[in-house]
Amino acid sequence: MAEKKTLGKEFTKGLISENPVFRLVLGTCPTLAVSTSVASAIGMGVAATAVLLCSNIVISALRKVIPQKVRIPAYIVIIASFVTIIQLLVKAFVPALDSALGVYLPLIVVNCIILGRAEAFASKNAVLASALDGLGMGIGFTAALFLMSTVREILGSGTFLSGIKDLLAVFSSDITFNGFKIPFLSENPLTIFVLAPGGFFVFGILIALSNKLAERNGKPKAEINGCDTCPMAKNCALIADGKTCEEVDVG
Amino acid sequence: MKKFSLKEILVPTISLFVICAVATALLGFTNSVTEGKIKEVAAKSASEARLRVCKDAVDFEEKTDKDGNIYFEAKDSGGNTVGFAVTTEDKSYGGTIRVMTGFSASGEITGIEILTIDDTPGLGMNAKKDEFRNEFTGKKGELTASKNASADNEIQALTGATITSNAVTRCVNKATNIVENAVGGESNG
Amino acid sequence: MKIALSLLLTAILTNNFILSKFLGICPFLGVSKKVNTAAGMSGAVIFVMVLATAVTYPINLLLKANGMEYLQTIVFILVIAALVQLVEIVLKKYMVSLYNALGIYLPLITTNCAVLGVVLLNIDNGYNFWQSMVYSLGGGIGFLVAMVMFAGVRERLEGCDIPKSLQGLPITLVSASLVSMSFLGFAGLVDNMFA
Repeated sequence: MAEKKTLGKEFTKGLISENPVFRLVLGTCPTLAVSTSVASAIGMGVAATAVLLCSNIVISALRKVIPQKVRIPAYIVIIASFVTIIQLLVKAFVPALDSALGVYLPLIVVNCIILGRAEAFASKNAVLASALDGLGMGIGFTAALFLMSTVREILGSGTFLSGIKDLLAVFSSDITFNGFKIPFLSENPLTIFVLAPGGFFVFGILIALSNKLAERNGKPKAEINGCDTCPMAKNCALIADGKTCEEVDVG
Repeated sequence: MKKFSLKEILVPTISLFVICAVATALLGFTNSVTEGKIKEVAAKSASEARLRVCKDAVDFEEKTDKDGNIYFEAKDSGGNTVGFAVTTEDKSYGGTIRVMTGFSASGEITGIEILTIDDTPGLGMNAKKDEFRNEFTGKKGELTASKNASADNEIQALTGATITSNAVTRCVNKATNIVENAVGGESNG
Repeated sequence: MKIALSLLLTAILTNNFILSKFLGICPFLGVSKKVNTAAGMSGAVIFVMVLATAVTYPINLLLKANGMEYLQTIVFILVIAALVQLVEIVLKKYMVSLYNALGIYLPLITTNCAVLGVVLLNIDNGYNFWQSMVYSLGGGIGFLVAMVMFAGVRERLEGCDIPKSLQGLPITLVSASLVSMSFLGFAGLVDNMFA
């Protein structure tokens, strides 16, 4: 029973208490870039979750075989392969998503959440736990993207789930549902919210809200300090001859 | 300097090599599976776009003019030429923009489709909206985008996205040129 | 010449990698507390971006010639990772002063999306070799401008009286929003110069 409980925890921690976007502040680039519409945010979330799940499973299964010295390049190769596989599948079956995500689809390779989970979790834990961790983190990432994009799309374009038809076409081409139009806002959208400044602003406000909630539960605030959220930080300490992250930040 | 033993170098090298080889093989396999489908999807979306810009057409014939430009002749069910569809590209804000323009047999624009665009959401991306694309319908000859369009050959530019509006207009003008040359070339024999 | 200039200016001002394309947000938020740190990091980014473009351009031609474009992502990320390591070793050995200024930031750059991003964007946009180089340089300079400006803003924020929930990361992001809004103004400039 105890075992089951911890496994459940590996899955649920990514959803709220260790949400990769709002608590660990990882994967900020795609969060800001593709949250202009809910449909592309969901697409990005699902694609990243698939990569995260697969790479966590493979890296965890190979954790005893991959030599310590070359583990980072090995992880990068594994992650990049899954990203390419997802990219090819998306191009073949959901071409609308490919054009909506553009360059951000191959850039999942450098999404810190994925390399971060490989290094922090999958390289140390068993396959099942790693799979659950990856799935939980991926769903947490998708949920965060969904929240961000809901705010931005409703305020910035006056629509909700617009363009979802092209994503649902994977399951059935008969679906005609293509999102809602918000009265008033769709004629008078606050365009700034889908532009870059709106992205930063909404993200800032959502982090403030999540900090407030965390504080109430006695948890520390989400913070990004120097490079300690960067998964490469530990390795740069290794590579750069014992220079620690703090020293780098002192500049 | 510390001497590395052969094993210390060989083991990581070989394992990394094996991982790379397996990964590449896997990708090659995925590619061979999806390649045909990707081409099919691209061809399908191109032919659907052609049908949207030339509404009267049922079939298209691919042709190349003397400058090497590819254009499509739209045919109705009787095999008569009812129009043309041309894809052209130009540089816009966020990179290359590709536009397909449909013409009637008399050279009037019957519709345009934005095939590829990577501009700012909320500004340049509005070029994909019907209101902007319909500006072109029914127009003829050399067009210009303007912030307050009044004349016949002027297109109302998108708010805050003059570069995108200009890029789309240039694409359409290029297409007009190709069609004019093609029609002129044919009548001259 | 005009194309080169417009590429350079759009990459620096209107299509700024950080402020409008959201590439390289991690260092933008993480390493922008002090102006000189931000400048050092950006210097390393400019260097790696231009070098990565120069190296990946011929590799892409090779991949294309063999119909293996699907290997782009995996090949480029490995090339960038190897390149960063190589540059670091060379700098450390032969150019110690440069290494001390830029080298310490190099390992952080492997997973910087701005570097892989510029390489992929050059291909997506179909730029030739020189256009790619100019675009990468512009992207790198834009990175520098955004980082240094933002570090200046953040230094001013220290010691300000900020509502408790907004302290730390939230106010940093709201400031980033304002800096990014000011960059929107450049759109008109480039519009009128090249339209």
